[in-house]
Amino acid sequence: MAAATKKTSKKKKDVDHPFTDKQLLEVYHYLQKTRLMDEQMRKLFRKARFAGTFFSAVGQEATTVCPAYLLEKDDFIGPSHREIGACITKGITLKEITTQIYARGNSVDKGKSHPCHYGRKDINVINPASTVASQTVLATGAAMAYKIRGDKHVAIGFFGEGGTSRGGWHESLNFAGVHKLPAIYVCQNNFWAESVPASLQAGVKKFADRAKAYGFPGVTIDGNDVVTVLKTTKEAIDRARAGEGPTLIEMLTYRWYGHSEIDPADYRTQDECDLWRKKDPIPRFEKYLMDEKILSRERKEGIISEIETEIKEAIDFAEESPYADPEEALTDVYGENYG
Amino acid sequence: MKQTTYIQAITDALDEEMARDESVFLIGQDIGLYGGVFKATKGLQDKYGKMRVIDSPISEVYIAGGSIGASLVGMRAVPEIQFADFITPAMDQIIQQAQKVRYRTGGEWWAPVTFRVCCGGDVGGGIYHSQINEAWFVNSPGLVVVMPSTAYDAKGLLKSAIRSNDPVIYFEHKRLYRSVKEELPEEEFLVPIGKADIKREGKDATIISYGYMLHQSLKAANTLSEEGVEVEVLDLRTLLPYDKEAVLESVKKTSRAVIVHESNKTGGVGAEISAFISEKIFEYLDAPITRVCGLDVPGVPFAPPMEHYYLPNPDRIVDAVRELMSY
Ligand SMILES: Cc1ncc(C[n+]2csc(CCOP(=O)(O)OP(=O)(O)O)c2C)c(N)n1
Ligand SMILES: [Mg+2]
Repeated sequence: MAAATKKTSKKKKDVDHPFTDKQLLEVYHYLQKTRLMDEQMRKLFRKARFAGTFFSAVGQEATTVCPAYLLEKDDFIGPSHREIGACITKGITLKEITTQIYARGNSVDKGKSHPCHYGRKDINVINPASTVASQTVLATGAAMAYKIRGDKHVAIGFFGEGGTSRGGWHESLNFAGVHKLPAIYVCQNNFWAESVPASLQAGVKKFADRAKAYGFPGVTIDGNDVVTVLKTTKEAIDRARAGEGPTLIEMLTYRWYGHSEIDPADYRTQDECDLWRKKDPIPRFEKYLMDEKILSRERKEGIISEIETEIKEAIDFAEESPYADPEEALTDVYGENYG
Repeated sequence: MKQTTYIQAITDALDEEMARDESVFLIGQDIGLYGGVFKATKGLQDKYGKMRVIDSPISEVYIAGGSIGASLVGMRAVPEIQFADFITPAMDQIIQQAQKVRYRTGGEWWAPVTFRVCCGGDVGGGIYHSQINEAWFVNSPGLVVVMPSTAYDAKGLLKSAIRSNDPVIYFEHKRLYRSVKEELPEEEFLVPIGKADIKREGKDATIISYGYMLHQSLKAANTLSEEGVEVEVLDLRTLLPYDKEAVLESVKKTSRAVIVHESNKTGGVGAEISAFISEKIFEYLDAPITRVCGLDVPGVPFAPPMEHYYLPNPDRIVDAVRELMSY
């Protein structure tokens, strides 16, 4: 979780941004945490430690960690299936993630939902439904509530480029445009929606162009460039908080692995995958931090070993946790007693 | 004394709840400036402003899903679906979000949204403006489904629905808007969700109904009374979760049951009630459980003779009861 950005730190290089060294290091920490956690979950699925599947976001971390980092506690996030980074950064603990994936009785949802549907009410991250881009509609509704009440909060809807083909997505952005809602729409264009290429998803080349139809700005950026993602999202959040309306940000990125762990992803070429691995957002940002003397080798090793310990504890915790009593299936249907 | 119509009861309930609770807001097509196509929200935008009575674009997915999203962060949304027929796009959000959000989050989140759904036939509305699709929702645990038949119930149930922490599908019958009226108490009152109401007492047979058909059932009961058959008419009012005790109690007393509803028969509410009665109190029955329902066709047809052929009427209900009495 970010504190509001304070003062502009002096930079040697010509990268101009308003973030402090401390903030950049925190972002680095969340990026690594997301990456290492994600890779561990993939391994555990392969070892059949949990059922269902796992939606890896390796390669896309900057697109979810950076926007979530810039939010306040009461700001709302409507995630989809690939937003582990946003959830971790907003405050979902690793134990909440492992128990959720393992469907244990002590997870937030008590084992009722599906892997990768993380959320928690006190930090305003709604545990998602599986229906693609559905939480974009909810995030727009939350932004509408903020406008009705005159709250200064904002709402972010996360979705893939495939999600932008759905009717509810268009209805939401249209409504947000009419009322200048405090909403930020983050499109992770990873060029594939399961096996369907972006070229078969839309007639526009840039998904950000869809915003034109709704009367607010749409921008396309390199989603694997951490500083650019931070800067662009901050501008959008500032605009939203100032009552100037929504922004659609298309972030170009790539998922390294299959749609989920059961997908061999044989519809893509090796060349394409290799190209994008070279654009890995984490080493790029790390190099910048090291060049700027913000991060040292020792500090990096310290961060990583700290994260690895936390991950191990979270996995052990989930593995030792029992499932809920099957009769728990009967609860949480209604909030009132109508008997 | 002042008579309040069914539609005025709805307007009054909205007004009272909006005055009482700042988190209550309305959204829907034509509900603000125009006061609603049937005028159910007349005067409310002037009183509460454009952001609490929101004239929405023609976007049923958003009307439903935006209401749900707002309700997740502390609002109580009352979206209007102008015609039940057009709720189909909103089903996506009603089913994937409103119905499931409490369950899929282990009780962390819930969606206090009251969907006001204008429904029903016998108004010459034709195939796209006459539907009652309550069975879709009754087959969706996690939702509450209600359908008032009187002005008193319309007001009391709407106020309870808005205060409930569960998503409620509130079916209001357009045929009843101005044809049904009564004197209402000056003081505030609520009608509890989940409670049926005996609208006429009897000992020989039970008619279980709701909405407009409740009135047709009462007419049938009058005719039957002249023949010496005293029918009990039970108004279900809440269709999910329905009042199982009231159903069993009445049928145990009368030993005969007819279920009357306007929507089509197969897979309808009548099928559920009938199965429930026979599972629980088969030994009390003196005759088969009967249903008088709309036809199993895709919609309510337009031409007046066809529409009347589609809809259950007092004669058909009387015939059904007579047949039961002959066992
Ligand atoms: C309404 C709906 N249709 C289909 C699916 C199955 N499905 C899940 S994810 C997905 C692809 C989503 O692609 P995109 O929006 O680009 O996100 P990405 O997976 O690339 O992150 C599909 C088709 C679904 N979950 N919901
Ligand atoms: Mg995609």
